[in-house]
Amino acid sequence: MTAPLGTAPADGPSAPAQDARAAEGPPPGRRSTLRYAAAKLGGAVLSVGMVIVATFFLFRLIPGDPTIAYTRDVPVSPEQLALLRRQLGLDRPLGEQFLDFVWRTLRLDLGTSYEYRRPVSELIGERAGPTLLLAGTGLAVAVGLGLWQGARAAWRHGGRLDRVSTGVSLVLWSVPTFWLGLLLLMGLAAGVGPFPGVFPTRGMEDVDAPDGFAYVLHVGHHLVLPCLTLVAVVYAQYLLVMRSSLLDEIGQDYITTARAKGLRDDEVRRRHAVPNALLPTVTLVFMNIGFVVAGAVSVETVYSWPGLGLLFYEAIKGPDFAVMQGTFLVLCVAVIVMNTLADVVYHVLDPRVRSA
Amino acid sequence: MTRVGVLLAACGLAVSVGLSALSFPAAADDTAPAVAAREPAAAKKIVRLGVTQSMDSMSPFLALRLVSTSIHRWTYGNLTVPDPQTLRPSPDLAESWETSADKLTWTFKVRDAKWSDGQPVTAHDAAWTFNKMMTDDGAKTANGSAVENFETVTATDDRTLVIKTKKPQASMLENPAPIVPRHVWQQVTDVGAFQNETYPVVGSGPYVAVEHRKDAYVKLRANPNYWRGAPKIDELHVIFYENPEAANAGLKRGDIDWIGRLAAAQFEALAGDPAIVQWNTQGRRASYLQLNPGAATADGEAIGDGHPALRDPRVRQAIHHAIDKKTLVEQTQNGLAQVADGSIVPPLYSEFFWRAQGEEQVTFDTAEANRILDEAGYRRGDDGIRTMPDGGRRFEMRFSIHTDTPVEDKLAQFLTGWLKEIGIELTTRRLDSNKFTEETGSTGLYDIAISGWSVNPDPEEVLATHLCSRRPTASGQAGGTESFYCDDEFERLYQEQLSELDRAERAEIIKRMQRRLYTDAPVIALYYPNNLEGYRKDRIAAITPVPLDKGILYGGSGYWPAYTLQAVAAPAVPAGGSGGTGVTVAVVAGAVLVLGAGGFLLLRRRRATADERE
Repeated sequence: MTAPLGTAPADGPSAPAQDARAAEGPPPGRRSTLRYAAAKLGGAVLSVGMVIVATFFLFRLIPGDPTIAYTRDVPVSPEQLALLRRQLGLDRPLGEQFLDFVWRTLRLDLGTSYEYRRPVSELIGERAGPTLLLAGTGLAVAVGLGLWQGARAAWRHGGRLDRVSTGVSLVLWSVPTFWLGLLLLMGLAAGVGPFPGVFPTRGMEDVDAPDGFAYVLHVGHHLVLPCLTLVAVVYAQYLLVMRSSLLDEIGQDYITTARAKGLRDDEVRRRHAVPNALLPTVTLVFMNIGFVVAGAVSVETVYSWPGLGLLFYEAIKGPDFAVMQGTFLVLCVAVIVMNTLADVVYHVLDPRVRSA
Repeated sequence: MTRVGVLLAACGLAVSVGLSALSFPAAADDTAPAVAAREPAAAKKIVRLGVTQSMDSMSPFLALRLVSTSIHRWTYGNLTVPDPQTLRPSPDLAESWETSADKLTWTFKVRDAKWSDGQPVTAHDAAWTFNKMMTDDGAKTANGSAVENFETVTATDDRTLVIKTKKPQASMLENPAPIVPRHVWQQVTDVGAFQNETYPVVGSGPYVAVEHRKDAYVKLRANPNYWRGAPKIDELHVIFYENPEAANAGLKRGDIDWIGRLAAAQFEALAGDPAIVQWNTQGRRASYLQLNPGAATADGEAIGDGHPALRDPRVRQAIHHAIDKKTLVEQTQNGLAQVADGSIVPPLYSEFFWRAQGEEQVTFDTAEANRILDEAGYRRGDDGIRTMPDGGRRFEMRFSIHTDTPVEDKLAQFLTGWLKEIGIELTTRRLDSNKFTEETGSTGLYDIAISGWSVNPDPEEVLATHLCSRRPTASGQAGGTESFYCDDEFERLYQEQLSELDRAERAEIIKRMQRRLYTDAPVIALYYPNNLEGYRKDRIAAITPVPLDKGILYGGSGYWPAYTLQAVAAPAVPAGGSGGTGVTVAVVAGAVLVLGAGGFLLLRRRRATADERE
């Protein structure tokens, strides 16, 4: 997955034809990195273009007339329905709507929400913060926990710790996020039997939340359950990659050398094996940010966390095409950017990729 | 102790400090309302309502969702409000009214009231509101149809509002449009885009909106200028839950004090909690089957693929006979509904409710159903399934239900069994709600479908959903039909009730319309689901339902329940049931956990180093 897409020419003496230019330009290593990055960037731009097209048609597959769904709670006449359709541009031919969408998107205008009657970019801006907080914290904890446990498990692989931690993480990985979230909510927020709940049942903050540092604690308190749920379902992937990657290293000669030097077992692991095993994991961290965000959608729905996931879910229920398109586009672009970044970072980190 | 050991110990310490830091805000958080009730800020009486819908807009010209229109009802006055006893229109911002002899001119006397910012409420505010909706498409989003029949609206002086209509309009006094303050809104350049998020929002209802966090909550404060007198509580918080189960948990835990519109399962989950009142009353909704009577567009052009047999009212009536509504109520609604012995208006609205009696009543009688079908010439084939009289198409029909409503699956099983008895083979078709709306409202691709409608105190709208004109346009755009019904008699009665200003006379016509629906059976009412709610009695001391004898609290019409809320002065138990104990348990559990983990790690570390030493 990380094989260079563009053909990065072998650098150094094996490419004499380039030597002359290399003398004036940047050093060959850096130049190949730049070319590699440019190729990756081109691919990313192409992906974004395809996502824009897919976004529009994907959501138009949702049948039915959104105006009927919106007006379910209020009396409306056929005339008013026609007016609503006109206001939302739903009465225009699909092709025209599509061209309009592409043109607006290229100008970074994500349109106006059908239900909220506000610019979609504004809605996304408001909700990005809570999602970044939840997904960011979740990711950090999951990566930390996964890598740590993965390293321990691999070092004594086959042992009790290995079996237990791998087993537990895999079970949690297979559990539906929504269900686990509800279970935790029932147990730790609502309380079970004589044990009262200790965490709030919803949202990021309550009405009349305190100010200053107390606010940080307040939000932290609300963050515990959503974050716990998110971490539980995603940390297995980090654990497994770390574990298998470290297992590869264990048999290597340099480990034997390190041991032969008389280093303590612990130090061999920390100073020699783990740093080498860490490389493939870095890519994974970036690549899976998209999955973390997807997991955040379910988590946000269970805990009414006011983020992008909730916005997206509400839009599907609408159906609010403008919000769906906007949110989906932003999330897709974020994943594409992260993947591109991962490719480039990996290229920089690992000389073996560069010379491959 | 090794270096790692020290590090681990330090980590353990940090974690335990972190845990207790997390637990203490829990304490502050849990008891916050209780503390607030004791300390200076104290006297603040707050009631928190949980809702499972978020605000779509704070602008009364744009908001379409029930939660938004409810909040606007609590923050803006209308011309009239349903009386909590009789549900008939009674004075709100209009003190009194009269109609001209030709029934076309309505003259309202506007009350001497104040906006929440101290400015007087005048007839000019009302005139401006209605004129804005009549002239600006952007202002029509929410209540455009309420002014479609208005010819002119003028304020002849500060107190007198004159509305001239194009045709007589009996439902005039149920106008749903909130009156907005002209002095605030006339500065708005584009009403269609204005969000009305400048707080406090100027209004004339019992509450003033002071804060709104999107997808989180709306905070309302008592309006001291309210013309009936300020509410008895200081603040009403409307708190959003995306997930109904979480909302239930919130009520049990005391995060919210009141929640309405519960599903049967959610309602039953509240049983056994001594602090919670389970509020189970008659509801405003009717659940019914739609039977495709031969779908067509508003121009009369046939569309869809409904089974031809269903065009025969005798077949539809036979199906009605084959359904055991009592079993449906018991088995699919857990008994929390009333068997429908009428049509689409539930008995909650006693003035308009029509009940089938005597000969007319369609009872559960499979033999009668079979007799009707035999007589009509639909004979059974060898497999027991009937065919059209020409021996052609078999009675194979689809039953369309929603994927996201498991109860409907259960209903489908019962229905399949019953219809088999009368020679109809039913297969269930599960559709997501968008597809469902399209097939049963625009394209007519259904035979039998499950549906329902929540009815307002004036039933005009629910009746209109069965008009010819509500069928889709020639180009296939939905018009809001609930049945594809088109019947001359029904149309004539609808027009008649529109201009019948005598309430009793009009109620009679409306009952005749329901009777027509009942006997012609384009829809078959199955049951009227109960209104299920729950509230904490350790937080709410009193609340007035509408109607007064065991009526609706949240989601009904008007503002009485919200306005008459009384909070328990000093909660006997702090919210959260036993917040103090909860925190202690948490802290102790946290400490044990950290100590245990630390100990375990230390032991292991010792053993590991011992191994290495060997």
